[in-house]
Amino acid sequence: MTTSPLLTVSGISKTFGRLAAIEDVSFRVEPGEILGLIGPNGAGKTTLFECLAGVLPPSRGQLFTAAGRPLTADDRSSLIFYVPDGIRPYPDQSLGWVLDFAVGFFGGHPDNARRVIESLQLTPLLTQRVGVLSKGQAKRALLAFGLLTPQPVLMIDEPFEGLDLKQTRDAAATLRAHANGGRTLFLSIHQIADAARVCDRLLLLSGGRLRGEGTAAELIGRSGASDLEGAFLALT
Amino acid sequence: MQWLLAKEWRELWSARAWWLMLVLTGPLVGLSFINAVQMYAELSGLNGTAVGVGEAFSPLVGVWAPTFSAYELVAAFLFPFVVIRLVGGDRQNGALKLEMQQQISSLARVGAKALVLLTAWLVAMLPLVIAGLLWKSYGGSSYAPELATIAFGHVLNACLTIALGAAAAAVAEHPSTAAIITLSVTVGTWVISFIAALQGGWWELVAVFTPPALVAQFQHGLIRLDVTLSTLALAAFGLVLAALWLRIGVPAQRRLVESIAALGTVALIIGACTMARASWDASENRQNSFSETDEAALRSITTPLHIEAHFAMEDSRRAELERMALVKLRRIMPRLTVTYVSQTSVGLYEQNTEHYGEINYTLGSKTDTSRIVTAEGVLETIYGLAGVTPGVERDDEIFRGHPLAVPPRHASALFFGVWPAAIAAAWFVRYRRQA
Repeated sequence: MTTSPLLTVSGISKTFGRLAAIEDVSFRVEPGEILGLIGPNGAGKTTLFECLAGVLPPSRGQLFTAAGRPLTADDRSSLIFYVPDGIRPYPDQSLGWVLDFAVGFFGGHPDNARRVIESLQLTPLLTQRVGVLSKGQAKRALLAFGLLTPQPVLMIDEPFEGLDLKQTRDAAATLRAHANGGRTLFLSIHQIADAARVCDRLLLLSGGRLRGEGTAAELIGRSGASDLEGAFLALT
Repeated sequence: MQWLLAKEWRELWSARAWWLMLVLTGPLVGLSFINAVQMYAELSGLNGTAVGVGEAFSPLVGVWAPTFSAYELVAAFLFPFVVIRLVGGDRQNGALKLEMQQQISSLARVGAKALVLLTAWLVAMLPLVIAGLLWKSYGGSSYAPELATIAFGHVLNACLTIALGAAAAAVAEHPSTAAIITLSVTVGTWVISFIAALQGGWWELVAVFTPPALVAQFQHGLIRLDVTLSTLALAAFGLVLAALWLRIGVPAQRRLVESIAALGTVALIIGACTMARASWDASENRQNSFSETDEAALRSITTPLHIEAHFAMEDSRRAELERMALVKLRRIMPRLTVTYVSQTSVGLYEQNTEHYGEINYTLGSKTDTSRIVTAEGVLETIYGLAGVTPGVERDDEIFRGHPLAVPPRHASALFFGVWPAAIAAAWFVRYRRQA
């Protein structure tokens, strides 16, 4: 049985002057899945995420809702939440307040807050200013921020960047728990092993173009490699 | 929206630029206040100055205008950094990318910041309350309408600063670029005022809407509807511009087109605002008005009056004619037209030119020429042409002034000691609580 996609991305392209950062990228996001976007540095992963989230205007292309109509700005706000990488928002505010803000401003469920905070081991940091958190702590804080928002699709750019092995596994478990709860996750990950462990399906992006799409096994099979890293190298 | 306002408020109080501005505002106001009160006292007879010199003195001109002028410095050199910090900070630390995903319009987000910044400005005006209490304790007189007018003028000026800083922070990628843009615009308005003083004409019309000219009018207790509405329109334009450019998900070309459309719209609105002629003189000494008896006489003259004055831009007589007579005359005779005739901007080498220094009056078919630039001289000529005899000014109409020969006691301690210490202590307590 096939389900209708939650989101359909059709022919997204983004150029910066003469440089084509993304070219004609099309794929579908299925409800409740963890979709991974993998690719080498400079493949256009962040650009693609920002175009999908409306942070960057795409040069061409369109997004469609489950009902098959073009995604409007209002649709996007109610459907997608995007957590960028490399940001340190509200550095002068306490983490506790920032997470309250995430729930209050974006209309999340306050009941989730405690569970998210505990699962990401943020409780001891709640009184700390965001600006003084370490890189890994700040990343976990951003993950919590995203997980507290109510949109059915959560896009996270590099969710495990700056996390150690244990933290990565804990964060992955938290993300999986949310996906099991019905939320769709779309993660941009440059560590192939992390992506293979967490994601249900993968998109392989290289040189701004989509080079492969499917489960890890499908990508391995298609490339003739013995593992996902081999498939990654063969397809990029 | 409530969360957004709360967040902006917290961000404001987290900004060191804001605390620095707050701590500096006290001494700046204090310096102006102390100098003004000292001068006022000396002219009122303190320490042996000739008795009676300060009898017609108005606290508006002598104390409050210079005291409030500290806020011109604050608005030009301190407040823009607070605005840029609050508006540009979100872009720098990435909060903008998160918040723009909420279904709140960009204009609403900018509006929330503007509201918080305006409140911040009112908080920064607290040293004026200290000045007011000190003045009262000295036995000084205060006239609420003129104080409200001057405060309103500075709030309008703050609105312009907020709009300018917000627009600059939204358009520029980096806060330092935004700061350069803001300061360039500020210096640009000074250049406009300077050129207006030399060239006149259109420059003079534009210069009326620059912050220094805006504040100057309110400091004289004059509320002009055209200036007020134009300032509000200009401030709204700045906020709209900021809202347009903070939509980083919209192509730059579209934002540019929308900005040009907004510019065209605001130009039309300001053009319409300049048609508004109403004005109110809130000063106790009616420094922007003739006496009530003269105004009654002038109102009875319905024939259009044209004045042709042969003065160069920089001729002091021209400034005197404007200040003493024409500013007041325009308010009471809306159909008055004034033309200045001169070949040079300085006028020094025109003194021997035929007709230079003459003021020609044309009322219907009657004409007269005079060289007197005082209010009395101008009125006498107009009354002569119109055949009008004004009533006699009542004694109670004459402003007698409020001289006060009291030195600014305790002001130094309050403004240079207590205020900075209180602000520093408040910052320290907050910092410790956050740490």
